[in-house]
Order: sequence, then C-alpha cells, then structure tokens
Amino acid sequence: MERQGIRVEGLAKRFGERTAVEGLTFEVAAGEVFGLLGPNGAGKTTTVRMLTGLLRPTEGRAEVCGVALPLADEGSALRSRVGLLTEQPGLYDRLTARENLRFFMRLHEVDERSAFGIATHYLERFGLLGREDEPVGGFSKGMRQKLAIVRTLVHSPQIIFLDEPTSGLDPQSARVVRDVVAELAAEGRTLVLCSHNLAEVERLCTRVAVIKNRLRSVASLTELRKAGSALEIRVDGEAAKWVPTLAMLPFAPSSHHEGSLLKVMLTDDTQAPDVVQKLVQTGARIHSVVRAARPLEEAYLELVAEDEGERP
Amino acid sequence: MSSFHLARAMAVVWKDFLELRKNKGLLYSMAALPIVIVVMPIGVVYAYVSAPDDGNLRLMAQYYDTTVQGRDAVHFLVEKVLSDWFVLYLVMPIFIPILISSHAVAGEKEKRTLEPLLSSPVTPLELVVGKSLASLVPSVSICVLAFVLLCIGVDLVAAPLNQGLILPNAMWLFGVLVIAPLFAFFGNGVAVLISARVGDARTAQQMSGLLVLPLIGLAAGQFGGWLKAGVAYYAMIGFFVLLLDIGILLAARRLFDRERLMTRWG
Repeated sequence: MERQGIRVEGLAKRFGERTAVEGLTFEVAAGEVFGLLGPNGAGKTTTVRMLTGLLRPTEGRAEVCGVALPLADEGSALRSRVGLLTEQPGLYDRLTARENLRFFMRLHEVDERSAFGIATHYLERFGLLGREDEPVGGFSKGMRQKLAIVRTLVHSPQIIFLDEPTSGLDPQSARVVRDVVAELAAEGRTLVLCSHNLAEVERLCTRVAVIKNRLRSVASLTELRKAGSALEIRVDGEAAKWVPTLAMLPFAPSSHHEGSLLKVMLTDDTQAPDVVQKLVQTGARIHSVVRAARPLEEAYLELVAEDEGERP
Repeated sequence: MSSFHLARAMAVVWKDFLELRKNKGLLYSMAALPIVIVVMPIGVVYAYVSAPDDGNLRLMAQYYDTTVQGRDAVHFLVEKVLSDWFVLYLVMPIFIPILISSHAVAGEKEKRTLEPLLSSPVTPLELVVGKSLASLVPSVSICVLAFVLLCIGVDLVAAPLNQGLILPNAMWLFGVLVIAPLFAFFGNGVAVLISARVGDARTAQQMSGLLVLPLIGLAAGQFGGWLKAGVAYYAMIGFFVLLLDIGILLAARRLFDRERLMTRWG
C-alpha cells in the first residue's frame, strides 16, 4: 500500500462573519495515528470536512493523499482515497446492513466481491456477522456505529478520519475498535481521530493537535506532558482539607483529591520541595510522595483555557 | 471538472428505488391519486352514457354550447369531460415526483445520511441525476399505466355510444407522451431544489405541493367554461412548462454544490 499523509498550511474557514477555524498548520505522517482535540465548537468537524473536500477552505492550503486543497475539481479522486466516519452513523434504516454497504461500494466503484471480503472481516470483528441481512432500523446505537465504521473501510481508504469512533459503544466493543485502529495503523494507513475521550487518545495516538478555533498546540503526547509533572501525595485523613494550603503557595498549583490522595499539578519540577514543605509546615502527615507524568487531560485543559484567563 | 460516472448515478437510483419499495406509506400515497384520476372520469362517462335521454344532460351541454341538441348532448359531454379532465390528470405527473423527490435531499439531511453520502466520490451532478431518475421513472410509468387503464375503462363504459374508441385520441396522446413528462420533470425539479434548501422532507413536500394550485385554477376555468381545452391550449401550457424546466436546470447547476448542500439546513 502506498503510504500517504496530510500537510496543512494556514488553513482557515469562515462562514460569513463567523470564523470556524483559522491558522491551522500541521503535518500528519503516513501511517501515523493523529489526534484532533478540542472542545465542542472548536472547529474539529470543520477541519475534517475541509480535509475531505466537503468544505472549501477560505484561506490556506493542504495536501491530503497527494491531492491539493482547495480542490481543483469535484474531488472524487480525493474521496475515493479517504474514509470518513461522521459523528452520526448516517445509515439507511429501511435497508439491510448488506444493502447499506453495497450502496457505498457502488458509489466507490470498487469490486463488490473483494469489498464484501473486507466487510465480512470487520463485521466478524464487530460481532455483526449473521446480522447483515437485517434492516438497520432495528439495530442498537452501538451496532449502527460499528456498521458505520465497516462502511468507512470497505473501499480500503489510505487515510481514515474517525469522528468519535467509540461513541455509544460498550467497553468491549470500544476495545475492538481501538484494536482495529491499531491494526490499520500497522498496515500503514494514516488515521486522524477526533475524540473527547482523552484516555482513548492517549492509548492510540502518537501526536495530537489541540484546536480551539485556532491551533493551540501540535505535539507528541510526551512533549505535551513534559511541560509539567504531577505529585501524588498520600496524606493522613481526607486530602481535601489541604487544598486551601496549596492555594497559599506563590505558584498556586491546581490539584485534585480523592480520599487520602492529593494530586498536585506542577508547571515546573523545582516546585515539588515547596509543595511538600508547605504541607508539612501546616501539619499534614505525609505517607508517600510519588512523582507522576502530567495527565493529558491537564495539558489539554490548560491549552484550551489559555485565551480566557481560566485555570482548569 | 470531474467526469460524470453513470455507475455512481445508477447506485443512487438503485438505493432510492430500494428505499421506495420498502416505504409502504409512500407507495400507498403514490397509488391513491392515480386511482382517483382514473376512476372518476370513467364514473362520469358511465353516468352520461347510461342515461342518454336525460334532459339535464342537454341543459348541461347547452351551458357550454347552445347549438347542442338531443342525443348529441351525451357525445358532447363525454368529449368535454375527457378534454377538461386532462388538466387534472396533469396533477399526477407533478404530484408523484413531489412525493418522491421531497425526500431526495431533505430526507438525507433528516436521516443524517447526507454527510456520509457527500463524503463518497459521488458528484452533486451524479447525485441530482440519480435522485431525479429515481423519481421520474416511477412517476412517468404510473402516469402511462393510469392512462392505459383510463382508455380501457372509458372505452368499455362508452361502448353503447357506438362511437368506436374514444380514447386514446390525439390530444391525450400528445399530453401523455409530451406534456406529462415535461410536468413530471418540472415537479421533480422544483421538489429537488426545495428539498436541497430546507431541513426536512415534510416542509419540502408542503412547499412543492403549492405547484398544483395553478392547475386547479386552470381546471376551474375549464369546468366553468371560461377556458377551452384542446391540443393548442395544452401545447401552449407545455411550452411554458418547458421554459420553466430550462430555468430549473440552470438553478440546479448553481445550487447543487457540495458545500451548499452541507451547510444549508433550512
């Protein structure tokens, strides 16, 4: 399989006066699993729609699967090489699963025999084999989501955009989807994953772009977490009562507590002794102190809150 | 400019036919109007033919033409009702495509299937051709079938007049083979365009349904005796609809743009 990636330079989209997204510049290497993160309304879907040729960029340019954007034509060549799992499964309820898949095979003009071979493989992985002749209207939300994923893959796309792929899935099915994503990446396909599920992103992606109407960061997960670390401090009694003490520190670190565990986020590793000293000075009895990597969630919340002067 | 792939347009036709076949409610709605359009004139012709000496028939005929006398009144009225009825028959090639095509784009939006569909290689032109064929083929077929049934029914009940075959005649043949497809194209075009602009199939259907109002007006004019139907009259209407069809094609070229379809939600 030819390995194809994505290159984006200064991409922007405006709808009249409203800017959906601007100043996007990033690259996704062939065979990479890339995360697109951002809160609701941040412009993730608009970005994916631009990259799949559904929307014309207002500014900037990109190259997806070797096809330049803005498109010079209708973009059929681009769309035959990419697969898009939309936020809503978007299936035809009156048609059976097989008919839904056959329709998209015909739109992609692929050999139905080999495409059904691919479909059967994924239907089996998702536990849908044997249900393919039932109308989709009777499927559960999870079954519909899984069938939509199969539909995204039947034409063997080189680049796959997945918008919330595990939405509505039970933990077991979500795990199968994650395994499939990992397998696709191992086959050399490029995957772009839009998700709010940061744990999933941490498990699957090598790099992420955080956007909130503009690009906040593009980095590997290690780089994102490197901007700080966390201290996990086990104290005597409820950890909650030491939170006001932490606020008295000059650098006022953010913190979480759960029972006797106090988790303190540090922007600089040299802050650790000050935190421990302050707690001891104010009477905390400390059982253990462990230095941990900063969770992705913390880095993400900090990035998306930047403009508003918020602290997560 | 991407080339036109007939296979992709035919995939849309295949899917839409399949959905239509499985939509019992829509099939019943599509069957209701042709039944009325066929049964009613046969019933009226039967009523005239079964009481040829009724004085009221002569009075009715003389309302339209004072020179009509005696048994000629039945012949006159049978001819008049079949000539006037054609305008109501034209409601059918407009109404059936509206029923189907209102679901064309708005239905895809409603079911959230439009984005996956547009993210496939199908071009907007292939989509509109596929959707239109899926609507026009059944509509025109139903119109032809209804006409055949009407001919058989009318000729059977009018047999006692010993006038030979009353239908098909030149006006009806011209109407069914030329005017009705033009009307079907018009009804389909308007429904597809409205369907692309609004967010749900019901709104598209209601808005497109307003198209039948001018035809009802024409029918009223004919039944009232103010308008006289004939080949020239229907040819004039046909020419006017042909101009409208050309306008629709031009509008469709502009409106059927992937981004417009994605971002217009009513």
